[in-house]
Amino acid sequence: MSQDAALTSPERPSPSTQRVAALGALAIELARAGRDLYGVFVRTLFYTVRGRYERGAVLRQMYLMGNQSLFFLTVVMGFIGMILVLQGGLQAERIVPDPTLIGSTYLELLIRDLAASIGALMLATRVGAGIAAEIGSMVVTEQVDALRMCAADPIDYLIKPRFIASVVMTTVLIIWSATIATLTGMGTAYLFFEISPNIFFDLRLVDFGDLSVGLVKCLAYGAAIPIVSGYCGLSTYGGSEGVGWATTRAVVNSSLAVIMLNFFISGAAFLLIGA
Amino acid sequence: MGSTSDSFAPAMSSNSEAVNATSGPIASMGASFLGIAETVGGMAMLFGRIVKRLASFSCDGPELWRNLHRMGVKSLPIVIVTALFTGAIMVIQASPIVERYGAQQLVGWAAGFGTLREIGPLLTALMISGRVGANNTAELGTMVVTEQVDALRALAIDPIEFLIAPRFIGIVVTLSLTTIYADALALVGAAYTGEILLGVEPTTFYHGLTGGLLGIGDVLHGLIKSVFFGVLMAVSSCYFGLTVRGGAPGVGRAVNATVVASAAGIFVLDYFISFLLG
Repeated sequence: MSQDAALTSPERPSPSTQRVAALGALAIELARAGRDLYGVFVRTLFYTVRGRYERGAVLRQMYLMGNQSLFFLTVVMGFIGMILVLQGGLQAERIVPDPTLIGSTYLELLIRDLAASIGALMLATRVGAGIAAEIGSMVVTEQVDALRMCAADPIDYLIKPRFIASVVMTTVLIIWSATIATLTGMGTAYLFFEISPNIFFDLRLVDFGDLSVGLVKCLAYGAAIPIVSGYCGLSTYGGSEGVGWATTRAVVNSSLAVIMLNFFISGAAFLLIGA
Repeated sequence: MGSTSDSFAPAMSSNSEAVNATSGPIASMGASFLGIAETVGGMAMLFGRIVKRLASFSCDGPELWRNLHRMGVKSLPIVIVTALFTGAIMVIQASPIVERYGAQQLVGWAAGFGTLREIGPLLTALMISGRVGANNTAELGTMVVTEQVDALRALAIDPIEFLIAPRFIGIVVTLSLTTIYADALALVGAAYTGEILLGVEPTTFYHGLTGGLLGIGDVLHGLIKSVFFGVLMAVSSCYFGLTVRGGAPGVGRAVNATVVASAAGIFVLDYFISFLLG
């Protein structure tokens, strides 16, 4: 955009004008990306309802996303549970005389936010990078153009199955990772702070609101990750360097999408349901 | 002895054929274990070579500056957005607990300890891993695929000294510096969210932060972590970048492997460092 401005104006613009032009270019770029992303989302939803049916496509994606991420997610969430209880317990010991409250507070936080958000950040790197790398390679090797030549919308063929699979599998994997984090947290509390598991596993503070906020987050993240990374994959250009770029952008943008969605959903839940 | 070794060899070969034919769960477990062992071993050897170059100060200066600019300065927008939102989310999540116990004075302390010790270093590392680590793998992978690394070797230029060592230092420095920056920004985000949602004045927040419960130790705790995360991320992204095979899809797979390995490694390291530092 700044080059365009330089071309149209007769003399070279001053540095401050150039800076404004760069800012404007950035804003236009962002707005365009947002519009394209919205277009992909709407078309994915449309095809989810009215698209063609391909046997096994969704199941294959579910296998790729679910089973292949299981080990990774189990390791990460296991360590997350241990870290949170360890750090939380060490700090709580300084302030609160009775450390048995760790369990109920930890479970509430885990169900309302941490399991979904940290799990989804991990899935954004694992699944998002996978989707962008796969679709990006297809774009670079002109397989997507071949689909378009056959009057087949790549969104229907490529993104829709990943979208459905991701919404289902993100929810399933996050419930699994919450279980793992609870178990490792319980073990850490027992080993380091001598809190017995039945005192730790205290669901008093978990109410319906926490559970529904957690599930809404699962669905939102599960929908956002394939859309954002599928969009990044489809907008690949260039050769192998382009695929690398697309994958990088997919990881960064889907992680950012998770963090922003977390902010908005948590904020809305706080304002609607209250403390 | 002779008979056992005779029977052992065909058993081995038939076994491996059977593995190839059926690939049962144990065989696939063994194969993935071998794959992990190979990756870890390769990373350790690469790390050793990088340390050897760094110990003798053989690192390309201009390449280092270029990388520091590209990795550090260009990542700032992401770090700013992530840190501000993260600080805000922390206070939103802590607010029910704060209101339940009426502990408005402790918001600053809670946000400070969470940010400085865990969330700041962790989330910055994850975002930098996505932005810089993945980008680094993609770039090195493209160089490998287009045989630029072979060209360097043919010109008797050491790729580790010219390409890898500057990137290694670049990532470690970038991550530790952006962690400080992200810590500060996350606390700013937390302070203003606390004012909006809970009515806690920023001055109260600041007093909770500096009230004596937190010290320089907590800041250093986070910074030590970020240095370790940086080393891990640098080694894994360079390793996966240098071992790319198979054109554009190979680069995509390598980037995927890098972000997964970095993320898993970051959390595992985080636990052990938290445990050791206490």
